[in-house]
Amino acid sequence: MKSDIILDVRDLKLHFRTRKGPVQAVDGVTFQLKRGQTLAVVGESGCGKTSLVKAILRLLPRNIETFTGEVFFNGVDVMKYNDERFRKEIRWTKMAMVPQASMNSLNPVIRIEDQIAEPLFLHEPGISREKAMQRVAEVFKVVGLPLDFLQRYPFELSGGMRQRATIAMALVTNPELVVLDEPSSALDLLTQANLMNVLKKIKHEYGTTFILITHDIGTASELADEIAVMYAGEMVEQCSAEYFYTDARHPYSRKLMASVPTLREDKELQFIPGQPPSLINPPTGCRFADRCEQRFGKCSEHPPVTELEHRQQVQCWLYVNGKGEVKHA
Amino acid sequence: MPNAALKGQQKPAEERTPILAVENLHTWFEVRRMGFLKAGDVRALDGVTFELYEGEALSIVGESGCGKSTLAKTILGLHHPTKGKIYFQGTDVTQLDKEQTKQYRAKVGYIQQDPYGALPPFMTVERILREPMLINGITDKDEQKRRIRQVLEEVKLAPIEDFLPKFPHMLSGGQQQRLVIARAMILEPKLLVADEPVSMLDASVRVEILQLLRKIQYDHNLAIIYITHDLSTVRYFSERIFSMYGAKIIEKASTKALLKNPLHPYTKALFEATSDPDAENLKTFKEVPAGEPPSLMNPPSGCRFHPRCSKMIPGLCDREIPPEFQVTDDQFAACWLYRES
Repeated sequence: MKSDIILDVRDLKLHFRTRKGPVQAVDGVTFQLKRGQTLAVVGESGCGKTSLVKAILRLLPRNIETFTGEVFFNGVDVMKYNDERFRKEIRWTKMAMVPQASMNSLNPVIRIEDQIAEPLFLHEPGISREKAMQRVAEVFKVVGLPLDFLQRYPFELSGGMRQRATIAMALVTNPELVVLDEPSSALDLLTQANLMNVLKKIKHEYGTTFILITHDIGTASELADEIAVMYAGEMVEQCSAEYFYTDARHPYSRKLMASVPTLREDKELQFIPGQPPSLINPPTGCRFADRCEQRFGKCSEHPPVTELEHRQQVQCWLYVNGKGEVKHA
Repeated sequence: MPNAALKGQQKPAEERTPILAVENLHTWFEVRRMGFLKAGDVRALDGVTFELYEGEALSIVGESGCGKSTLAKTILGLHHPTKGKIYFQGTDVTQLDKEQTKQYRAKVGYIQQDPYGALPPFMTVERILREPMLINGITDKDEQKRRIRQVLEEVKLAPIEDFLPKFPHMLSGGQQQRLVIARAMILEPKLLVADEPVSMLDASVRVEILQLLRKIQYDHNLAIIYITHDLSTVRYFSERIFSMYGAKIIEKASTKALLKNPLHPYTKALFEATSDPDAENLKTFKEVPAGEPPSLMNPPSGCRFHPRCSKMIPGLCDREIPPEFQVTDDQFAACWLYRES
């Protein structure tokens, strides 16, 4: 019996080397993810969402300054694996990813079925072509594409279909965890709703664990059991979706929710004045302090993470020593 | 400034003057085979009629390829209509000569979707803002300075002196979009056409830009056409909404009425497909009409939505093009379901 926690990330840091100094794209992120659940990582552009999952999957560029922390996958610290072992045993066999805009990076001169089968040939050496194609047809059905599209080329498919094909490519090796980076932001509204239906179905029927990266909280709510909010390289709040939309605690999460326009409910929209700090030499204290209406003296020091009721984890001085009570209004 | 009329107490439509009237507008693009053989037309805009009043904000929603950007560009004079008329303050602008077209364009501002793509990377902010004035013969240096100062103040790019020598790449996405708005405002237009002005921006900045546009609209009694695919932002922006599908306007309604009760099955589907942040969403599947938007080279006969519509009436929807039915005081739908009203 495998443990309930599929992914346990502790103090993960990923800093990039640049001419101006190290960019702290991911700076001490800690979170846990339960098997079969979906975690939505939300935040503004440049807050480190994509860097976080690239660090977990070890899809790194060359200019790495710091890459430390622990990533327990099924209880094993995979950070200790060397690159070759990680590639063979983890990446795509256990964890797969659908990168942002990947539907536009399909090879135009190779048939869809051959492209989807490629991870199989790489990760299950010796698999017969017949068997591989059988598996491809299976995932094709799972993502809801008609089988006669197998033989076609990417340009013959619509945007929504191409996006499904890339999801099929991630699912073909039967991974336990799939990372989706902005899977629906380039799609039209109806296509987007369709895709979320497909993902929901996969989640229910196959128990796949997802990490969904998005800036669209409305769409995230279709799939997410847990919401993690990132700001300037840090995870400032992690919370069950049940409570997040109505009862987010971190001042940034609250502002973020207040800026989401809603269709069915008339509310006063707010925006967040100012800009996120530069990730080169970010402030030593709370990184949101400059834009926060509730800041006080303590905020010039780095805030610890406090666990409140409903397992809500918040990195903010407002909740320290309060056992879930708001200390300063 | 006559902005009192806009704060909730607008005159009834009959008493207001339309600033823009579009009549039976068609924009078709010819498709050629082998460079010279005509293969057919893409009917990007196929019979669009509406009026826009002074100081009114109008949203046009629809998915990609429904013709909403073509409509914007035809109004701006960037595409020449195949058929139909566009009246701006009473003059037909499809028949203007070169000089008159230039004057017309000075009265209509354009806010592009991608701010970075819309700003020349080698020009400073000051130069970008001066360019439209040079083209339109405002050569007085003091007048130029006054206008630059005024529009930058209006879009809140302050302190102004810091921004003037900057290049577009030195600005954040939100600041770039403000600059695009400032440029559109510098010739003091009467009408703004905003084509997806916030779709490239972060959620927190999006609201800021929309509120800014709204304020500018009130202050100058501007008419705005706001083109978007995102139904959830229109509530905060416009008085009326048009929904487009397959190169035609299929529903016209006041924002209030449409958000309460969308009539056309396609508008309903769009409404259904939009997710508000709600934990309940996890438990349900969305109802989405099957299929894809129609080809605009060979559009389906009858109603263009009928192949995907669950309420299709055989023998009617697939044969006859539905006219516009008035369903309530402020809601029109081009759908046979409402033929009795």
